[in-house]
Amino acid sequence: MSRYRTDDIIYALATPWGSAALAIIRISGSGSHALLAPYFSKSEALRSAKNATLLHGYLCDQEGRRIDEVVLAVNTKGHGYTLEEAVEITCHGSLSVVAELLDFLSSIGMRSAEPGEFTFRAFLSGRMDLTQAEAVHELVEAQSPVVRAQALARLDGGLKEKLNGMKNTLLALLAPVEVQLDYSEDELDEFVFPDELLDSLLNDLGRLLQSYAIGTLYKSGARIVLAGATNVGKSSLFNLLLKEERSIVSPVRGTTRDYIEADLLLEGIPIRLYDTAGLRESGDEIEREGIRRSEHLIGQADLVIHLLDSTVEDVDRAFDGRTIVVYNKADLRRPPEGALAISAATGEGIGDLLSEVARRLKRGVEGVDESRIVIQSKRQADALLAAEAALKGVKEDLQAALPLDIVAVGLNEALHHLGLITGEVTPNDILESIFSNFCVGK
Amino acid sequence: MDYRALVVGGGHAGIEAGLALSRIGFKTLLITQNLDAIGRLSCNPAIGGLSKGNIVREVDALGGEMAHLIDRSMIQFRILNRKRGPAVQAPRAQADKHTYARLAKETLEGQANLEIFMDTVVDLIIERNRIVGVKTKRGHEISAEVVVLTTGTFMEGRIFIGEYDAPEGRLEEPAAIGLGTALRKKGFPVGRMKTGTPARVRKSSVSLDRLEVQEGDEEPMSFSFDYDGVDRPSVPCHITWTNEKTHRIITDNIHRSPLYGGKIVGQGPRYCPSIEDKVVRFPDRDRHQIFIEPEGLGTEELYLNGISSSLPEDVQSAFIHTIEGLEKAQIMRPGYAVEYDYIDPQALFPSLESKLVENLFIAGQTNGTSGYEEAACQGLIAGINAAQKLKGEKPLILGRNEAYTGVLIDDLVTLGTEEPYRMFTSRAEYRLNLRHDNADQRLTQKGYDVGLRTEEHLQRLREKVSRIESVKDLLRIHRYREKRAFDALKMPEVTIEELAESIPELGAYPPSIRYQVELDVKYDGYIKRQERQINRFERFETMTIPPGLDYDTLEGLSTEARQKLKHIRPLSVGQATRISGMRSSDAAILIIHLQRRSGDA
Repeated sequence: MSRYRTDDIIYALATPWGSAALAIIRISGSGSHALLAPYFSKSEALRSAKNATLLHGYLCDQEGRRIDEVVLAVNTKGHGYTLEEAVEITCHGSLSVVAELLDFLSSIGMRSAEPGEFTFRAFLSGRMDLTQAEAVHELVEAQSPVVRAQALARLDGGLKEKLNGMKNTLLALLAPVEVQLDYSEDELDEFVFPDELLDSLLNDLGRLLQSYAIGTLYKSGARIVLAGATNVGKSSLFNLLLKEERSIVSPVRGTTRDYIEADLLLEGIPIRLYDTAGLRESGDEIEREGIRRSEHLIGQADLVIHLLDSTVEDVDRAFDGRTIVVYNKADLRRPPEGALAISAATGEGIGDLLSEVARRLKRGVEGVDESRIVIQSKRQADALLAAEAALKGVKEDLQAALPLDIVAVGLNEALHHLGLITGEVTPNDILESIFSNFCVGK
Repeated sequence: MDYRALVVGGGHAGIEAGLALSRIGFKTLLITQNLDAIGRLSCNPAIGGLSKGNIVREVDALGGEMAHLIDRSMIQFRILNRKRGPAVQAPRAQADKHTYARLAKETLEGQANLEIFMDTVVDLIIERNRIVGVKTKRGHEISAEVVVLTTGTFMEGRIFIGEYDAPEGRLEEPAAIGLGTALRKKGFPVGRMKTGTPARVRKSSVSLDRLEVQEGDEEPMSFSFDYDGVDRPSVPCHITWTNEKTHRIITDNIHRSPLYGGKIVGQGPRYCPSIEDKVVRFPDRDRHQIFIEPEGLGTEELYLNGISSSLPEDVQSAFIHTIEGLEKAQIMRPGYAVEYDYIDPQALFPSLESKLVENLFIAGQTNGTSGYEEAACQGLIAGINAAQKLKGEKPLILGRNEAYTGVLIDDLVTLGTEEPYRMFTSRAEYRLNLRHDNADQRLTQKGYDVGLRTEEHLQRLREKVSRIESVKDLLRIHRYREKRAFDALKMPEVTIEELAESIPELGAYPPSIRYQVELDVKYDGYIKRQERQINRFERFETMTIPPGLDYDTLEGLSTEARQKLKHIRPLSVGQATRISGMRSSDAAILIIHLQRRSGDA
């Protein structure tokens, strides 16, 4: 349980999530200097830094790979925003760098802060006065299931209605189960579990979660990697794509990297496009390192455009679901029937490729008609996911013919998770529903 | 001081309180209005039921008496909800009312350190916010260090049958007049509640042979953990139904009901509605079920479970005669409603001690509950905590994850109640852990710690636990369907009885042990899930709030929260978060304040 935890190290991006020249990541918590030091190029300097020191250097990941060149602003205990031991990392402001750094911090055992949590800690340390209790409220609200949350009031109308509808459906599922458990068999009519209601609820939940995926897609964007053997025309395609799109931000040449990245916008989705070193066996040390990095990038990509050369005989290779296979140089030789073909030289087929990319990115989230209803916060999505998991468990329990009190465990869990967003449902609310809907009692 | 402890009332709460105090070793007096009414089952002739059966076994594990009384007076036993799963199975027994009450009185009479006296308490004697004694109707002033108040439906009680009403707590039994008024004057938050009971009819006038029969279980279990099984007779109950004719008579005469005519102001229980309530609230139902239950072996009286009513006697008689089997029923006692004073339980600490008057403990229906079992467990806890107070030790407060009794008291003192409070399984968040069969494992040690259970009881518990472990070991060694029998038992369709056929060693263990192993193994995953939930909240429960905390010094609390916190004075953050109207920012401010305090210390 992370609620009110104050004994661990938290981090959060302090600047807006978007491409910029610089970004700042804030870290707070006792032991944060020691935890970060091994990954900073000047470990000893960080360990022994006095308060209000700036340190320039590199942050490297656990395999020793440089993530970015950074400046650390160091605060010791009793100083800074939270009055805890703290570090502010100023790094390059590209989304990929920021994302990688955040992932890295999590991988070394820091925790992504809840909204308002820095304020909460500042408050705890006596740094802030009580007029800011409302900010703390945010955090507690976010995590406290026992207290009736009023979070719902702040949600936009459509979502609020949707969530309330689902909560009522869940109550309608739970109340007849609870009534069976509150009264003995011979006092009640034969009971049949309303499977259709459960299915429709699961369906609704799934759709709402899809809308989260869309929200994330438009907000955080996608990483697309151009991959393929050397000389298949990746760089031509890269340049072509950038030319095709008017909303190019800027191509950034990685200072210490041998791949090139650029931001573009495709049907409203922010995309970071990477042109990588060609994949091939190589004896050259530097090139091998480049290839290794390409593979690393491919591993993290949301989508991979794998280019093949139409003039070269195809090698049998398996691609995963994230990969779009594209035949280049279609102007020179006709690619296999039905394959996606382009000519980076003439621009032929680029339109088709772009619409295929957009289609693939939206795959799994298409058909969400409630495009207005978008779950945006991770907290809401997590609660919905947990509710969905609990209800799937209920379905399994029912299929295994487990008794009703066991089935009720999952239903109650789902209600608890929905309650995290919509406001807690107490045992009294359930009894209320029972008394108003069932004629019970001898 | 005349006595160390004084118990007012001889009902199910008073019995437990009086026995607990005297058994722990304090010279105790139990005062009751009528010696012949000690332990009377005022309403239905049954003990136990869903969640209530669990409470009876909790009372037993802690060292209370209720389980012994019903074990020796039952005339039918059933485990309810065998098909519905482990958490909601519970024992229920029909009682021979007269035997039950006689045994209760005998038990009190046989108890060392306990005196019994017939009089009516009309006022409390309080000095400097501490109780020192009581005044009685006949002018006695009796002093004691602690007092447990268990007045049931008698405090300013009034019964209603149609246009008729009388100052009584049960039909023809005079109310305790004066005490409620005196308590109001002293500033206790006194309110009115209402409950009701159905008519009793004469067995020989009812055609039971035409009605559906409901038999008890063949092998009755004991409620008490002190012995295995009971040897008692088993008589059947019967089932019949109301019909449209019944409903028409009720609808036509509804204006004659004191409930609908506005004479009764007290809130009645929604879960146990009168037949007129059911007919009005659920007009679409063409029939309502009635269980016909014997009031005892030596009596002709039958209890008509399901049609409690306060309609006039001529209307009761008319609608009863429309019911199959009851066409010629002779009504021996009419149904009636009773309205009585209760004290808002939010004025109590979780120990059941009054916040207003030190050393005064209040239990049972006085706190707005309903039901014999609910009364008994409160009486027991009040008695135990009055004794703890006399010893200068910490009160026994059971957690919501430890006992239904804990859920009940926490609900009462934290939320209060708007209607007579009855226990339901759905009130308990952790009901998988609050099974009736493991009440001894949950509570015997606590009963021992307060001086009500002995070394023999602990030894008996240890033996049970070790036998459970032996059975589990057997299941780990043997194989069934190509798996360890232990794992096979986790499959929904495999029962331990089925395993016993291929593992003969299991036959050496009694069914109760095998049953518990089956539940433990089968639902292990779910129980663990629940335990994880418990652990998540445990932190709040263990964050204690110092008793003298001045909420006015906590900046930033909402006005509502400040008022409620000052009123309820919760003992822990967990309890505070359950107060209705607490906002999360309020909880945060409270927590921060406590953490700072402990940081300073």
